[in-house]
Amino acid sequence: MSRTASTEQATAVAGTGSEVPAIATSGLRKAYGARVALHDLTLRVQPGEVFGFLGPNGAGKTTAMKILLGLVRPSGGEALVFGRPPGEPAARRRVGYLPEHFRFQEWATGEELLDFHGRLAGMGAAERAERIPELLERVGLAGRGGERVRRYSKGMTQRLGLALALLHRPDLVMLDEPTSALDPVGRREVRELVRELADAGVTVFLNSHLLTEVEAVCDRVAIVSQGRVVASGPLDDLAGAVTQLRVLADRVDRQLLALLGRYGEVARVEGTAVTLAVGTLDVAPELARLLVTSGYRLYGLVPVQRSLEDIFVDLVGEVREG
Amino acid sequence: MSALVVARWTVLEARRRRLLLAGALLSVAFVALFVVGFYLLYRTQQRALLQEQAQGAGPAGGLDGREELLAMSTILVILGLYGVQFLAALLGLFLGVASVSPEIDSGALHAVLARPLSRLQYLMGRFLALAGLLTVYVVVMSGALLLTARVVAGYQPGDALRVVGLMVLQVLILLAVSLLGSTVLPTLANGVVMLILFGLAWLGGIIGFVGTIPPGNELMANLGTAVSLLLPADAVWRGASYHVLPPSFLVASSFAGGGGDLEFGVPFGSVTPMAPAMLAWAVAYPVACLALAVAAFRRRDL
Repeated sequence: MSRTASTEQATAVAGTGSEVPAIATSGLRKAYGARVALHDLTLRVQPGEVFGFLGPNGAGKTTAMKILLGLVRPSGGEALVFGRPPGEPAARRRVGYLPEHFRFQEWATGEELLDFHGRLAGMGAAERAERIPELLERVGLAGRGGERVRRYSKGMTQRLGLALALLHRPDLVMLDEPTSALDPVGRREVRELVRELADAGVTVFLNSHLLTEVEAVCDRVAIVSQGRVVASGPLDDLAGAVTQLRVLADRVDRQLLALLGRYGEVARVEGTAVTLAVGTLDVAPELARLLVTSGYRLYGLVPVQRSLEDIFVDLVGEVREG
Repeated sequence: MSALVVARWTVLEARRRRLLLAGALLSVAFVALFVVGFYLLYRTQQRALLQEQAQGAGPAGGLDGREELLAMSTILVILGLYGVQFLAALLGLFLGVASVSPEIDSGALHAVLARPLSRLQYLMGRFLALAGLLTVYVVVMSGALLLTARVVAGYQPGDALRVVGLMVLQVLILLAVSLLGSTVLPTLANGVVMLILFGLAWLGGIIGFVGTIPPGNELMANLGTAVSLLLPADAVWRGASYHVLPPSFLVASSFAGGGGDLEFGVPFGSVTPMAPAMLAWAVAYPVACLALAVAAFRRRDL
C-alpha cells in the first residue's frame, strides 16, 4: 500500500502514455483562516479512469472538487484539468459536475434548467432539443421535466443533477456524493450509469464516503482524512496489500498463539477463530501441516481479503488518534 | 454570449417569481391614482379660478390664474415622479440585493459557475437583465405621469428626456451598489446596509436643501454634498426634478429675484440644476460599483 503522495504519482504514471491527465494537482492546499481544509494534495487522474475520492465527512473532498471546478481558489499548489487551470472558463468546457447539495433554481422546471445549462455549455438548439428528453429518460425523470424543481423530491432533484452533469457529453464528470439522496435501487442505477460512462471512455471523479459505492465502480481510490491523502492506489492493491488467514482450530491456547506468531501477527481472536496477518498466503500449507502435527484439530484455514471498509477504518482511525 | 444567456435566465426568473406581474399591477394602480388625482385637483382649481375671475377678483398675491395652475401642476408632477423614483429605487435595491447572494446561499450557483462561464459574464448578465427591467419600469411610469400632465393640463416639462434619463441613472446607481453588496455580504446584512445607505442619501438631500434656504448655511450644504458622494441617488433625483420645471417657470423664477413668490423650493426637489462634477460622479459611480463587484466576486470562494 502506497501511503505517500509520491508513490501514488509513480503508480499512476506507470503504464499510461504521455497523455494529458484529466486531473493533475500538486501540493494543493486550502486554508479558511486558521482552519486548513486541504493539505498538500497531489494526485493524477488519467483519461478514462474512474477515480474514487474517499473519506469521512469534512475530510476535504468537496473542497478539492470545488478547486478543480474553479469555484474555490486554492491557497497554494497547482491544479490542472486537462492541462488548464480550472479558473479559466475554457478549462471547464469538457467537465460535468454534480454538486454535493444538488440545489438548483427551484422556480424553474427541470427542462428549463437543462436548457439553461445546455446554452451555457455551448450546445445548439437542435442538440438541446434532442439531448434533454433523452437524458430525462436516462435518469428516470421521463415525463417530469415540465414540473417545477420545487416540487421534486430529493431523489428526483439528485437525478436532475446527474442529467445536468452529463448534459453536454463531458469527458470528465465530477460527482460529489452522487447517491446521497437515493434509495438502494437508485444507488444501483447510478453505479450502472458510472460503469456506462467508464465504458464510453469518460473519466469519472467520484467523491464519496460510501465504501460499497466506490468499491463497486472505481479503478483507483485515494483515501483522505483531515485534508490529507492517507492512502491511494488501485483498489486491488489497497484491498490486497495485507493478507490475512483465518484459522479455525478445536482450541486456542498459548502454545497455538506462539506457533501462529512464527508465521505472522495475530490480529484478532474470536472464540476458537484466530485472524492472522501474514506476508504471503504461501505460508498456509506449511502452517496447516504444523498445526496438525502439533496435535490440533484444524477445521478451517481461510484466506481473508480485507475489505476497503477495514482499511478505511484503520487509516482514518489512525489519523484521528494521531 | 454567456452573459446574454444569464440575462435571459434572469428575466425568466423575474417572470416565474411573479415579479413582473406584481410590479405591473402595482404600477398600474399607482398611475391610475395619479391620473385621477391630477385630473380632479386640476379641474377643481381651474373652476375655482374661473369663478374668482367671474367675480372680478384680481390676481391674488401677484400670481395670475395661469401661473397658479402651472405652479400647482409642477408640484403635482414632481410629487408623482417622486413617488415613481421612490418605488423604482426600492425595486432597484431589492433586485440588486437578491441578485447574487441568495444564489450563493442556496448553492444554486455552484452548478452554474462550474460551466464555462466567467464570474464577469455572470455578473454582467445579472446586471443587464435587471437594469433592463428597471429601465423599462422607470420609462413607462414616468412617461405615463408626464403624458397625463400634458393631456390634462397641457403641462410641458423643461426637458422630459433628461428627467427620464436621470431617473434611470438613479435606479442604476442603486442596482449597482446593491449588486456590489450582494457579492460580498449575506443577503440580510446587505439589505440592511443598503436601506441605511439609501436613507442616509435621502437625509443628505434634505440637509443640503435646508442649507440652501436663505440666508443659507454653507456647512449644511456641504454636509449634504458629502453624503451625496457616498450614494449619489438622491442627488440625481434632484437633478432630474430640476428638469421637470417648465421653461416659463424657470424664466419667471430667475426674474423674480430672491424672496419673490416664485422663489419656492420643495424639500424633495430642486430648483437648481445638478453640478457637472456631481453628474460625472453619478455616472462613474455605478461603473465603479460594478468593477468592484467583479473584482470581489472573482476572489470569492463558493
